[in-house]
Amino acid sequence: MDAMEPWNLWMYLFCSLAAVCLCLIWIVPTPRGRGPRAVGLGAALVPAATLCVLAFGVTAPTWTFQVTAIFADGHSVTSGGSLLPGAGQLEAFWLAVAIVVAASVFTLVASRQAAYLAAITLLAFGLWQAYVALKLHAGLVGGYYWYDFMLRWTDRLAVWLVALASVASGSLLAARTIVADALGRRSGLTAQVQRLTLTRAAAVDAAAAELRRLERDLHDGAQARLVALGINLRAAEKLIRTSPDGAETLIAECRETSSQALADLRDLVRGIYPPVLADRGLGAAVEALALDCPVPVAAEIDLPGRPPAPVESAVYFAVAEVLNNVAKHADATCALVRLGYADGIVRAEVTDDGNGGADPGNGTGLAGIERRLGAFDGTLAVNSPVGGPTIVVIEVPCALSSPKISTS
Amino acid sequence: MRVVLAEDLYLLRTGLEKLLAAHGFDVIEAVDSGPALLEALVRRQPDVAVVDVRLPPTFTDEGLRAAIEARRRVPGLPILVLSQYVEQLYARELLADRAGAVGYLLKDRVFNDDQFTDAIRTVARGGTIMDPEVVGKLLGRRSRDEPVARLTAREREVLALMAEGRSNSAIAQRLSISEKAVSKHSTSIFTKLDLAPSEDDNRRVLAVLAYLNA
Repeated sequence: MDAMEPWNLWMYLFCSLAAVCLCLIWIVPTPRGRGPRAVGLGAALVPAATLCVLAFGVTAPTWTFQVTAIFADGHSVTSGGSLLPGAGQLEAFWLAVAIVVAASVFTLVASRQAAYLAAITLLAFGLWQAYVALKLHAGLVGGYYWYDFMLRWTDRLAVWLVALASVASGSLLAARTIVADALGRRSGLTAQVQRLTLTRAAAVDAAAAELRRLERDLHDGAQARLVALGINLRAAEKLIRTSPDGAETLIAECRETSSQALADLRDLVRGIYPPVLADRGLGAAVEALALDCPVPVAAEIDLPGRPPAPVESAVYFAVAEVLNNVAKHADATCALVRLGYADGIVRAEVTDDGNGGADPGNGTGLAGIERRLGAFDGTLAVNSPVGGPTIVVIEVPCALSSPKISTS
Repeated sequence: MRVVLAEDLYLLRTGLEKLLAAHGFDVIEAVDSGPALLEALVRRQPDVAVVDVRLPPTFTDEGLRAAIEARRRVPGLPILVLSQYVEQLYARELLADRAGAVGYLLKDRVFNDDQFTDAIRTVARGGTIMDPEVVGKLLGRRSRDEPVARLTAREREVLALMAEGRSNSAIAQRLSISEKAVSKHSTSIFTKLDLAPSEDDNRRVLAVLAYLNA
């Protein structure tokens, strides 16, 4: 009936602290899954937890307590005993190991949700109660128990009931959490598959439509002009001796036609992959767009590198379309384009002081851009209250390559 | 007139060489890459250089960069840049040093050899030539604040032709008005744009373009 020794108390506090730290690692979510921070903490705490278990196993059987009750009439009763009655060092050791290992495996493998920890605690408590009840029935233990107060106002059935209730609720909680987790993962995956299917179909459609447009533009533009050129040259060839003046007129016409063919091709190339984008990258290309816009546009560019070419192209055409809308529909006096990169996302923001009321669902321009950005998991957000201002935000997750090469 | 020529496509290079020779230019060096161009410009210091924007090794804006770098080392070195497309961004970079003697034209303009060789001579004299496409875009801007909005339609036409490097008589011919009317319009333009009048046409064009680009 000795009082708890001071160093045992410290050991007990240390164990509790370690357990709380362990729980915190599992419960506190990291920004994106289990980041390196959680892994590092876990690695540091595994040896700590092992030490705690060893300390608990070695010292727990010797832990004792003493309680003194002072009654109203002045007399007092002192009671006390072992904290883990009848438990040998080995039993206590394995109990602690089992709880820590089960909790670790369950929480690490299944999830880091607090529900699992609660379920594990309930299950462990219930099993321990069952173990105590069995021992009570078998008359294997005697002496004082720290839970004697409970046995005094109930009977042993209560221990069984507590054990059953704990095990049952622990199991239910665990099962419910596991099912919910599995369903959540599954519906998340289903949603992702649906999104990917949609964006892939849109990307394929967009590519096909683009090819059709190119074919048509070439056929009606440069190709037609080259045919005309050939015909006129042939005619000039015939006329050159008989009517030099007529031939000269025809040749001048040819020169004009070849200029127009070049202009057609130039427009076409701009629509496929703008030369300035190839030359200088997204930052300068957006700056060039700002310069070309009929509405005065200020550009704030801060890109520390170059996104992959397809992303550059998608963001470029998105900004081009948005600025086109600003010029055509917004009746704005000025606009601002901001282009930047943070947290693995390229972000372009176009703000204008126009009428507002832009609706991305209305008209094919913005919808087409959304589809094109969707292929890169990119998004387009429009905030345009009636009366303005309008803010369009384009975001595409991607990595940047090679650092910026300074111009001029 | 000593000319350095930079063009990576063999056919175009020889074509340009012939064209220039036929118009009395002396092509002292014809190069096909950015580094070679820079070296030739700095070493030979020609009266004028005709430079293609896209050159090896990067096939991007190598020619433009070489031209700007050469003008940094040899201030005011006359350079006419040719390109399959024109960008205001590049025009602005060429004009940035405000030293004049630059030109920026679409390659198609070569088809009209008289205009093209006039352009080369203008640049060699220290003038500024911008492609009508660049000028058109600049003037196409609408803004309530920019002074260019104060110009009349006719004045805009005159300004556009001026920016293309044309003389008053050429503008008069083009617009079918008298030369006196052109000079009246240009005085009015410079008053409206708050530019001090000066006798130097090219300086004025440069000032106008720099003003619009600011």
